[in-house]
Amino acid sequence: MNGTRVEALSAGYAGGRPAPRHETKSKMQDSVATIVVWSLAMLGLSALGVIIVAILWRGLATALNPAFIFGEPQAMKAGGGIWPMIVSSFYLAALTIVISLPIGVGAAIYMAEFAKEGKITKLVRFGADSLSTVPSIVYGIFGMMLFVVYFGFGYSLIAGALTLTILNLPTVMRTSEEALKAVPDSYREASMGLGANRWYTVKKVILPCAVPGITTGAILTIGRIIGESAAIIYTVGIFVKKIPLSPLAPGAPMSANIWHMYTEGALVPDWLRVASGEAAFLLLVVLALNLLARLVSWLYRRKTRTSDRFA
Amino acid sequence: MDKSSSISREWIVKKILFVLAMMAVLGIVLIIVLVTKESIPALTKVGPFNLFSTTWNPKTGDYGIVVFIVGTLLTTLGGLLIAVPLALGTALFLTQMAPQRMGTLVTRGVEILAGIPSIVIGWIGFTLLVPLLAALTRSAGTGILAASIILGIMSMPTITSIARDALETVPSSYKQASIGLGATRWQTIWHVILPAARPGLLVAVILGMGRAIGETVAVALVIGPATTFPKSLTTPTHTLTTKILMEMGESSGLQRSVLFAMAFALLLLSMGMILTVRLATRKKEFAR
Repeated sequence: MNGTRVEALSAGYAGGRPAPRHETKSKMQDSVATIVVWSLAMLGLSALGVIIVAILWRGLATALNPAFIFGEPQAMKAGGGIWPMIVSSFYLAALTIVISLPIGVGAAIYMAEFAKEGKITKLVRFGADSLSTVPSIVYGIFGMMLFVVYFGFGYSLIAGALTLTILNLPTVMRTSEEALKAVPDSYREASMGLGANRWYTVKKVILPCAVPGITTGAILTIGRIIGESAAIIYTVGIFVKKIPLSPLAPGAPMSANIWHMYTEGALVPDWLRVASGEAAFLLLVVLALNLLARLVSWLYRRKTRTSDRFA
Repeated sequence: MDKSSSISREWIVKKILFVLAMMAVLGIVLIIVLVTKESIPALTKVGPFNLFSTTWNPKTGDYGIVVFIVGTLLTTLGGLLIAVPLALGTALFLTQMAPQRMGTLVTRGVEILAGIPSIVIGWIGFTLLVPLLAALTRSAGTGILAASIILGIMSMPTITSIARDALETVPSSYKQASIGLGATRWQTIWHVILPAARPGLLVAVILGMGRAIGETVAVALVIGPATTFPKSLTTPTHTLTTKILMEMGESSGLQRSVLFAMAFALLLLSMGMILTVRLATRKKEFAR
């Protein structure tokens, strides 16, 4: 009944030509396509599963061993740990965030609150888009020439942090701008209607509301910094024995140290064990950061829902 | 509060924020200027004939980079051959078919996959994929095939999320009209939704390509290395990024300059992609 109506309709649509008669064929085609699409999606998901399981399978036992986490790295003999590498990773992330957050958030405030859409905003967006497509190895050798050689910082955490600041600038700007734009316009109107100027409004009303969004973006950026390797191998360093204290000291973030293990690790008898443990630890850190970012945005959403109810 | 002082303070703040926004422009200009400057000796002293030859041997003054360019093109193509069906399938699944819970699970999975460090994926390639391919093909196992699989997995999340956005912008009235005319779900997807989302899907593929061209460490762990053309899909070779990564440390003089010229080529590729994306997204708003 329904079928005949649809057929009549489609016959009318096709200008009187007879409706297609191979309905069973198209239905079969539809089921096959559904199966194919489902399998492709599941294949992608299982690739992720294989990666996580395989990395943890090889490295989890090592990665959770306190003697490995807090141990001193070894350059020539077995039994080394990765404590200075863990410290380097987080130190580098902290340093980068401290530099890039003010720049990125400031730029986002300009774009979202002050600038009129026009030539300037187009130029800035083009700059940010271009930065986000530059391969990380190009950032690496750029940072090496500019910060390590010309500025004379040598291989150091600060050289890496400055390089990663530029690398992450588009992401920090975008997430901050989204967080700012998510604040309803009525807030701005209310504040400015009470006589506050634009900057006062941003400082006292808009920014506080955008903090959770900016925080989520910052946590995801920390994850990216800790996972980055090509941009830091030639700026920060790949092996240290002691914890770096000064920002001007060379470091060896975990990701760069795994690369070192692959290229020169054969000097260490248990390099496979060390690198696998380090990879597993790195993966756990990145997964934890991902979870943390999700938690922050969930808490925030729950909070706004309550405040909506009171509004 | 004195009105005039608050206005001038706002003026200062606005200027400071403007300078911060211009940092993005300054950054890309600095990168282009510095990479260009460092590659000038390669372009003038080595010359195009030497650069565009197939022999790489700094000791004898041979700086041919064609092998690496071919390596980059082949691995990128291979990566896309794997990533595009996976990503398009996943994006279609998420926008057209997925039951809610399954959709959330796949979305989270794609997000997590996007965040896995490339060195970790490379480590899997080195410890699991390469030995597997070596056993299956009775060869070294490293090379174009391993790199393509790794790149396919790595560019899949990028393509998926952009393709998903593109598919979501197709007005649901298009879909309802097609279903209302008696088309099956697949006919609707194939004849209505995919064509309507084409510019966005093109952008997705181009940005995924960018990810594949620029990926370095993960490829370096599975590519070989060797400075010759690959004889098969599982013989060692090199790409632009892996060559820069592996040789920059011990390089100096002309050799270093040639490595910067390779970075310059990568920059040209990525800028070209940005321009293509801009062209593809410029026109077309959907009629409602």
